Amino acid sequence: MAMLEFANVSFSHGPKCFMDQMSFSVSEGELLGLMGPNGSGKSTILKLAAGLLSPQRGEVLVGRQAIGSHSGRERAKLVAYLPQQLDLHAPFRVGELVRMGKYPHDGSPGLAVEDALQIVGLQRKAKTQLAELSGGELRRAYIAMTLVQGARVLLLDEPLASLDIRYQFDLYRLLKDIVREKGVSVIMSLHDIGMGAMLDRLILIRNGRIVSEGNPDEVLTDEIVRDTYGVNDFADAYLATNRSLCRALA
Amino acid sequence: MKRADGSSFIIAALCVLSLCIIVVSVASGQRLLNPFSMDSQTCRTLLAIRLPRAAVALLMGGALGASGAILQGIFRNPLADPYILGISSGAALAASFGLMSGISLFTSSVPILAFIGAIATGAAVVILGHGWNGLQPERLLLAGVGIGFFLSALLMLVMSISVDDGLKRAILWMSGDLSMVDWELLPAGLILILSGLGLALTRRRGLNALTLGDDIAYSLGFNPARERLFLFIAASLMTAASVAMGGVVGFIGLVVPHVVRRHAGSDAAVVLPLSVVAGGTLLCLADAIGRTVATPLELPAGVIAALIGSPYFIFLLGQGKTH
Repeated sequence: MAMLEFANVSFSHGPKCFMDQMSFSVSEGELLGLMGPNGSGKSTILKLAAGLLSPQRGEVLVGRQAIGSHSGRERAKLVAYLPQQLDLHAPFRVGELVRMGKYPHDGSPGLAVEDALQIVGLQRKAKTQLAELSGGELRRAYIAMTLVQGARVLLLDEPLASLDIRYQFDLYRLLKDIVREKGVSVIMSLHDIGMGAMLDRLILIRNGRIVSEGNPDEVLTDEIVRDTYGVNDFADAYLATNRSLCRALA
Repeated sequence: MKRADGSSFIIAALCVLSLCIIVVSVASGQRLLNPFSMDSQTCRTLLAIRLPRAAVALLMGGALGASGAILQGIFRNPLADPYILGISSGAALAASFGLMSGISLFTSSVPILAFIGAIATGAAVVILGHGWNGLQPERLLLAGVGIGFFLSALLMLVMSISVDDGLKRAILWMSGDLSMVDWELLPAGLILILSGLGLALTRRRGLNALTLGDDIAYSLGFNPARERLFLFIAASLMTAASVAMGGVVGFIGLVVPHVVRRHAGSDAAVVLPLSVVAGGTLLCLADAIGRTVATPLELPAGVIAALIGSPYFIFLLGQGKTH
């Protein structure tokens, strides 16, 4: 069942067209990656999916209804969005942050705060200030908040950026667990081809259009990657090394 | 709300400390009042001078503390305080005009002028701070700072051409001098401050969410521009009422929320009421010190609050314990 669907979505701001008649969907319990060069439209897709931007044409459907037709609280129970830059200096403790996931709920939240902290491995850091966390821990604290929020679709803008290899793999495993055990659909933008090769499905984008879509082996062919990113020298060696390294570490 | 992190104890301790400081503040002054031996003269002093003054100090300090907590949250800026939006400049300009044109403070004309100046400035800042997609923090901040500088320049111009003794009273008013307050100011001030605080408390979740940034606030189901507008109105009401009652008192709105967060966490449901109690207590204490330490002279409460609070704040910074 499609949890989120883009139906012929076009979006422009001023004279610049960021997206042109894009269509795709993400199923329940699927980990979907958005890849493409800088400025290709990955963040725009995530913001449209979150309802932060409204398309000029076409529809973004969540739970079979247009995202804009949901009330704020109802939307928050369906979709959660985390931007690339998370505020490290927000003056909250981890527990206070995660508890905010209850805000859309009058009754029971999507998950108890303690359980969410347990899942992301921060159960001992509930009273720690956000400023004292590492980049990976900070990302996991925010993901715990979205688990309490109970959103069925999790939108992550470059969650792996600025994380070292260990934290990248920790986060990947966490997302896989959430997808498998909670049935949450995750859409994440990323640049790392090796990490992309480990996701359920990939969409490769250039200039606001889908270049290729499917499982990573179909999408990340040497030829498609070279054409999409406009790279030639060292591309084959880079791709081979990246893939084999990630598979070995995973 | 159930709290297991010790903030309940801190809240209770602060309330008890606050009560003690209020009692000491009311009793102290040029003449120490003995609550166990009240003659008619003592009663008159208590009712006509000491109690209204302590009540105004509590209300003003509380309003400034809560306003500071709100503005630091909606601007995501630890340096934001109730005066960064030019509200005090608008109030000061209007009040100074009243003082220097010979209107007595013991009629309510000057507080009313100050309130009108503050609210008019706040409205102008909101109109200028409104971007294509609502009230934007950067636009709002720049509008406040710009209008504040302009009004301050006008104020300096008015003061530089003034020759009568209204000038000294205007300077005292702008230093947070509480010696001229009376009971008449309290009901209106109390209603405005409680209205602002009530509005802010109903938007406490939005305030927490805005502190994380507009995108995450939206993701949690809030409309960031609408939440920011409500919270800005709440802070403006409280600041305007505070300035109208007793003049310009700096420092409290900037520092009290930081100290409260350090001891009791950052949840707005705790920070807002605690900032009211802590801000009110600090200004009450500052006023008591100001009128006893250099008798028969009275030092402005705003100056004393900054003098006793700043070293503690610097100490916390040195400890790396402010957030």
